Amino acid sequence: MENNELQKLWENIDTAMGHVSKSELNRVLRDKVKKTVRKYLYIIGLSVTISAGVIIFLIITALNRPGDELYLLNNMVLGILTLTALVISVKAWIKLQNKNTGQSLKEWLNAQIKQLTEGLTGKHSKLYVITIPVFFILLLLSIHVYFENMLFSEVLRNEESITGMVIAIPIGLFVSYQVHKAIRAYQKKQLEYLYEIQKKLD
Amino acid sequence: MKSKREEFLEILMKYQGILHKVNLVYFKNQTEREDNFQEMVYQMWKSFPQLQKRKSIGSWIYAVAINTSLSGLKKNTRINYQENLPEYPGISDAYREMEINEDTQLLMEAIHNLNEIDRSILLLYLEEKSYDEIAQIIGITNSNVGVRINRAKETLKKHLKPLYHGK
Repeated sequence: MENNELQKLWENIDTAMGHVSKSELNRVLRDKVKKTVRKYLYIIGLSVTISAGVIIFLIITALNRPGDELYLLNNMVLGILTLTALVISVKAWIKLQNKNTGQSLKEWLNAQIKQLTEGLTGKHSKLYVITIPVFFILLLLSIHVYFENMLFSEVLRNEESITGMVIAIPIGLFVSYQVHKAIRAYQKKQLEYLYEIQKKLD
Repeated sequence: MKSKREEFLEILMKYQGILHKVNLVYFKNQTEREDNFQEMVYQMWKSFPQLQKRKSIGSWIYAVAINTSLSGLKKNTRINYQENLPEYPGISDAYREMEINEDTQLLMEAIHNLNEIDRSILLLYLEEKSYDEIAQIIGITNSNVGVRINRAKETLKKHLKPLYHGK
């Protein structure tokens, strides 16, 4: 088969393809921008709302327990953790959305792989192993101590409270880790796909 | 003076054929093509400021379109590359809706059986891009481009054999 035969077949595609008007292109762009902005607002809005809820709870409960220093310290650490997690996760999500597709396929693939690999195996990638349990335990303590109407130190000595926490902590940790595991599994799948494409390029 | 958006739409209007063809090479399903078209337009708009740094508008559009399509290609919807192609495979319904003749539909089927990278390279080749331009868009060497084009053509030849010898 000659090259010009292939070319002829290909030209047929050119003539058969319907082109979109300028106003239609403008509509496509407008709709997509709207959809993307909505997605951003939803993800960021949800993260900010949850974090704001936690912070408001921490402030109100702390104001009601001015004398309990341990409780105040617990809430302060929890507040710092919440804000740090919010900033890091929103920044990471925005970075992941920034695909920079205007470069060569090889450069684009390398950049995508680097970004995903950093998140999955970089130096801060295992931080969640510590932060999830610390965050969960501190939050559980903050809620429990406040609603039990006891001092922070008393709760730590109370047999019922300890039993309750021994049951609640593993359940909470299991759920948190499962959610985290699912997110990582999705990212791993994406990374595998990119590696597969990269292999075909070499 | 034209606004940035107006300028972008004019370029898009002129070069939209590239997006349609890249879309066609990667997606068989009409809904997937519509989604990907929207995504390509958006990604082009996002990387529009980078256009000033590029020498050729066409190369930039191909790069954005190919990278976006590969990103959108879901693992479960991809068609696996087949080492041994069937002698005369049937044409799927995906192209029947388009007003293209049966031979061209068969060509599209054959292209879909190539792997994702070779599909892009062959598309650029059929669009009469030079080896230099293809190498620049894909990010491989000129010699590699040549090897891949020959290999892809061989595969197509096997697939399209009945068109030229069997009729």
